[in-house]
Amino acid sequence: MSFKKFLTATAAATALLAAGNAAAEVKFGALYPFSGDLALLGEESYRGLEIAVQEINANGGVQGEEVVLERGDAVDNNQAIGEARRLISRESVAGIFGTYASSRSIAASQVAELSGIPYFELGGVADEITGRGLEWLWRTNPTAEDMGKLIVEMVVEAIAPGIDRDPGDLRIGIIHEDSSYGTSVAGHQERYGEEAGLNIVTVQAYPANTVDMSSLVLDLRDREVDVVFQTSYQNDSVLFLQQANEADFRPAAIIGGGGGYSLQPTADAVGHDLIDGVLNADFTQYLVNTESTPGLEAFVDAYEEAYGEFPRSGHSLNNYVGAKAILQALDEADGFEPETIKEALAGIDTPFGETAAGYGVKFGENNQNERASMMGLQWQDGKLVTVYPEEAAYAPMRLGE
Amino acid sequence: METFLQVVTNGLMLGGLFAIVSVGLTLIFGIVKVINFAHGEYLMIGMYLTFLLATGLDVHPYLTVAAVAPLLFVLGALTQRFLIQPLMHARDEHVQIFATVGLSTALMNLALLVFGADIASTPASGLRTSLHIGPVRILAGQAVIFCVSIALVVGLHYYLQRTQTGRAIRAVAQNRDAAQLMGINVNWIYVLTFGIGAACVGLAASLVAPLYPTQPTSGTYFVLIAFVVVVLGGLGSIGGAFVGAMIIGLIDSLSGFYIGSDLREVAVFGVFLLILILKPSGLFGRRSLAHVSP
Amino acid sequence: MTQDKTDSAQRRGVIALALVLLGILAIPIAMDDQFIYHIFVTICIFAALSTAWNIVGGYAGQLSLGHAIFYGIGAYAAVMLTNLGITPWIGMFVGAFFAVIAAIVVSYPCFRLHGPFFALATIAFLEVFRVLALHFRSFTGGATGMMIPLNVGWEWMVFRDRLPALIIAFGLLLLTLAVAWWIRNRRLGFQLIATRERESAARAAGVGTVRVRLVGVSISAALCAMMGSFHAMYLTFIEPEAVFSLTFSIQIALFALIGGIGTIFGPLLGAVMLVPITEFARGWLGSGALGLHGFVYGVVLVLVVLFMPNGIMGLVQRFFEPDRSASEAEPASVPAEARASEARSFGEDVLQVERLDKHFGGLHVTNNVSFSLKEGEVLALIGPNGAGKTTVFNMISGFLKADSGSVVVRGPDGQFHSPTTPGDYAAIGVGRTFQIVQPFASMTVEENIMVGAFHRHHNVVDAREAARETAHRLGLGRWLHAEARGLTIGGLKRLEVARVMAMEPRILLLDEVMAGINQTDVRRAVDLMLSIRDSGVSIIAIEHVMQAVMSLSDRVIVLNSGEIIAEGTPQEVVRDATVIQAYLGKEFANA
Repeated sequence: MSFKKFLTATAAATALLAAGNAAAEVKFGALYPFSGDLALLGEESYRGLEIAVQEINANGGVQGEEVVLERGDAVDNNQAIGEARRLISRESVAGIFGTYASSRSIAASQVAELSGIPYFELGGVADEITGRGLEWLWRTNPTAEDMGKLIVEMVVEAIAPGIDRDPGDLRIGIIHEDSSYGTSVAGHQERYGEEAGLNIVTVQAYPANTVDMSSLVLDLRDREVDVVFQTSYQNDSVLFLQQANEADFRPAAIIGGGGGYSLQPTADAVGHDLIDGVLNADFTQYLVNTESTPGLEAFVDAYEEAYGEFPRSGHSLNNYVGAKAILQALDEADGFEPETIKEALAGIDTPFGETAAGYGVKFGENNQNERASMMGLQWQDGKLVTVYPEEAAYAPMRLGE
Repeated sequence: METFLQVVTNGLMLGGLFAIVSVGLTLIFGIVKVINFAHGEYLMIGMYLTFLLATGLDVHPYLTVAAVAPLLFVLGALTQRFLIQPLMHARDEHVQIFATVGLSTALMNLALLVFGADIASTPASGLRTSLHIGPVRILAGQAVIFCVSIALVVGLHYYLQRTQTGRAIRAVAQNRDAAQLMGINVNWIYVLTFGIGAACVGLAASLVAPLYPTQPTSGTYFVLIAFVVVVLGGLGSIGGAFVGAMIIGLIDSLSGFYIGSDLREVAVFGVFLLILILKPSGLFGRRSLAHVSP
Repeated sequence: MTQDKTDSAQRRGVIALALVLLGILAIPIAMDDQFIYHIFVTICIFAALSTAWNIVGGYAGQLSLGHAIFYGIGAYAAVMLTNLGITPWIGMFVGAFFAVIAAIVVSYPCFRLHGPFFALATIAFLEVFRVLALHFRSFTGGATGMMIPLNVGWEWMVFRDRLPALIIAFGLLLLTLAVAWWIRNRRLGFQLIATRERESAARAAGVGTVRVRLVGVSISAALCAMMGSFHAMYLTFIEPEAVFSLTFSIQIALFALIGGIGTIFGPLLGAVMLVPITEFARGWLGSGALGLHGFVYGVVLVLVVLFMPNGIMGLVQRFFEPDRSASEAEPASVPAEARASEARSFGEDVLQVERLDKHFGGLHVTNNVSFSLKEGEVLALIGPNGAGKTTVFNMISGFLKADSGSVVVRGPDGQFHSPTTPGDYAAIGVGRTFQIVQPFASMTVEENIMVGAFHRHHNVVDAREAARETAHRLGLGRWLHAEARGLTIGGLKRLEVARVMAMEPRILLLDEVMAGINQTDVRRAVDLMLSIRDSGVSIIAIEHVMQAVMSLSDRVIVLNSGEIIAEGTPQEVVRDATVIQAYLGKEFANA
């Protein structure tokens, strides 16, 4: 089976090479973790990029040239660097798209920076990616900071009024898995929470592969926490929701920070009853008011046609939106020199509500897309639906039972 | 006070979980004296088997023990016969450890290949029901694990003390050369021990699966904890391992509540290191693990 | 002729090694491709880390799975200092310094542990380091890690061009290889390997086993830390998860294992073969299916371990090294001297044992044992099995501590001293053999004896010279280059004596060196003992072979159930009724 696949791939590659001689083409790198622990969502992210490229190529490519993606496997940091080098020196790519995992992105983009090759981050959320002030890195997706900000905003704007409480009275408990992802989101939750005058009673980290969270649950219960922010992967999301239920700990709201909270298998494992009403913040997902996300349905159709299944998470959508914005901008430019690309990207000015993810695109300080934002979500009847902000909401937020 | 009781209870329940996972390792590590890094993967495979059987045949997860334990026995016996035994006389004793590292990597990725990275959840089948005992509450499934772990410890102890094969196993553990001279087929004893150890993990897996999500990396957390428990209890001492598991469970739970959940591992490994350094024979081991001169 | 073969084999080995090293530098320069540069930099990094690991894991035989601790300390030290504006060239040494401290703190308590337990302890330490690095955010940056500013230049070890990085990595690799080679061919290397092979025999040979291990692990840690500093600059970004990683630690050990654990250049070969294979295999299989690559990797690892347990060097050695197996026996070249039958006169006491008591649990193994040994005397210690003879030996060589009583030894300075450890005893000139022979199995006969000779000679050339001389004297000359594991029992007994003789002891404790050897050998052994005695060495021998006891000893002590029951000349003792009773039972005593 896999050998056959390999043969097909080789044949396809040969065909592509042959075709490449006829039509002009421009190469871009696609650097994602395709193997190892992060492979599942790395691949999912790549699919979004691939669909954007297919769509662009079907419409005549960029500047009349066909876009070709060269894959690089960023399985760990050392490998990310090696693959970035390979893409730049051997494949002579005009730029690199990536990377889903923040640490890989940080490592690989340093290489691109030193080589003066543009690096387009479509999915990594860590602050450090843009916080370094790199000249040749642009990020289209919303960040950990956006996530922390949105969650706090949700508490202040929607949840507290929804349950008739003053936001300052709510006792907030922040728990997070102890890797870079959980730590940085929790850091922003804490910062924005304090700015908004929330009463944060505890911040606790734990290892994501833990088998027991009962002590943590008891601690939260003892502190009479009303609202829990959890930034977590799958295993720990399931454990927390189950053990909280079993310890009879029922906070007024539980708000996840993407990760495990955005995955259907989590809901299936916990039970649709138990997860009902649990809130979440993440990239734009699929059950959203499509009026605010033009092109979402087309994307889902293209995805289903290409891969024969419904998108497994919002990662593909966000990569698609970012890649498309960048490629469209490049189409307006003349040539693929780094300086030209830089100029073209500086000109992007897409307002809110005009991409398939709902947010706009305009690169601000440190080349971060200042119009990127996350959305507030809620598990309702076994489905993850968009509930915040209101203009994007698929259904109203359900609060207080 | 009530919270304290609950934390302690949780610790004991966690101890029961660690005990049932570690008992098999006590046999393997204590008798064959091999660090089996694939132990956690045995558990993971057992959990997937439980998941497949329970959902496929639509039976209670506990009933799958009948199939899971024998399958794991075979897996363990095969590991010993075709992986460890050929390396028993290798020039470097470390070679075996790397063989089990390879096995662990292969099994974990095989699971990834077959089941994907998402979690698989075995139906809880009523085992997540809370039981109220005085001021504390525990899950039905946890109570079962706790009781079965005690029964398993007692049963294995009886098996090792009273049966012919059990005595042979102990003889091999104490002095393999002497046992060989007495006409015991040492290689067969090793295969058997490995198999029994793995079968115990199979039993554990069927009890654990309904309570915890299963994923390819499920075993990694348990493998280090299991070694901590076994060493703490004293090499090869099954009762010791049980007490060790309780201690680790309590430390884990108490430190998680009173110190902070991110430093639980420091507490657990710190206690482990202290005992290893101060009393290398473990809490209940008689023989010193440190090298005894001539 | 054997010498020629060895020389030409060595020459071939050196040429092959030079070619491998040249290739590491020349191939990327010739191909001038950034990705190839990256692969070769990675090869250098792993080869150097594995080589450094091998000093502890291979030479000293302590399976550390926590070496990422030292690598991580080096990485963090360099990054932190770079952020303070201090060049990594200094950070590298600061990291090495702290790594050495960590190595000593981590290893010292762990050296009591062996095999799997040591491995588990190092894993536990690694986990503790990782969690602490995650916890102390203000210091380490926590889970989000740390970055360095991209200041390009040699000063900051950050380059646009890849060649300088390769040169630094290659330089560090050469340094590590040179250190590993140097250690292996110096006293330290012999002592480390002796410690690995037989700890007690090494201690008896005067090796400070804890000290040499600490020195070994410190050197290893310093080298790992320097590599960690460089790698951090190369990655420009570090995080606890990647740096203090168990997988990474295992990988370091793995390259050494596959290359050939304990050999000087095995880890290098392991990295040279495996790094490119892993990189390309990942490219081929990685995108195939989730987990496929890891599965194949695991299976290949299992197969390699099963079918190549001695690593690549095991295969290579067959081509480059002469046959090291032992061949047929050679008679001891000691001339048979006329027996010295006249009563001899002795010097002053060199060893005094006062009222030694020792219990094992409820068993009273030695009870109030007192005796002394005079200079130039041969004292035989006899008694039935379980009489406590070996226990007495262990107490007068520092291996066991008596419950009460004292042992004093007269040093070369003429004063009496109370040594406590085997090292003290060796230092003062007490050498011993073991009843159950304790050869350093994987070392050659020459190397075995050299471990003893190093007690007197610090220099390898001198030690080798002394070892050869001793070997010839004991009839082991023919097997100098054979591995000790290939010797017959008689050969091993002789090797045991040779090793202790090479220490040039003043007092020799021989534990049943004649048991299990044939008549001819016994006669030769007796002659050998006498010649040793005549060179001014005082001897205490535990012996069952009465023929030897009678012809060799000046005085006999009979031990039964932990007590001295008789003492006197050999002739007196064999006539003693209590002795006969002890050996043969009551009815014989009156016969």
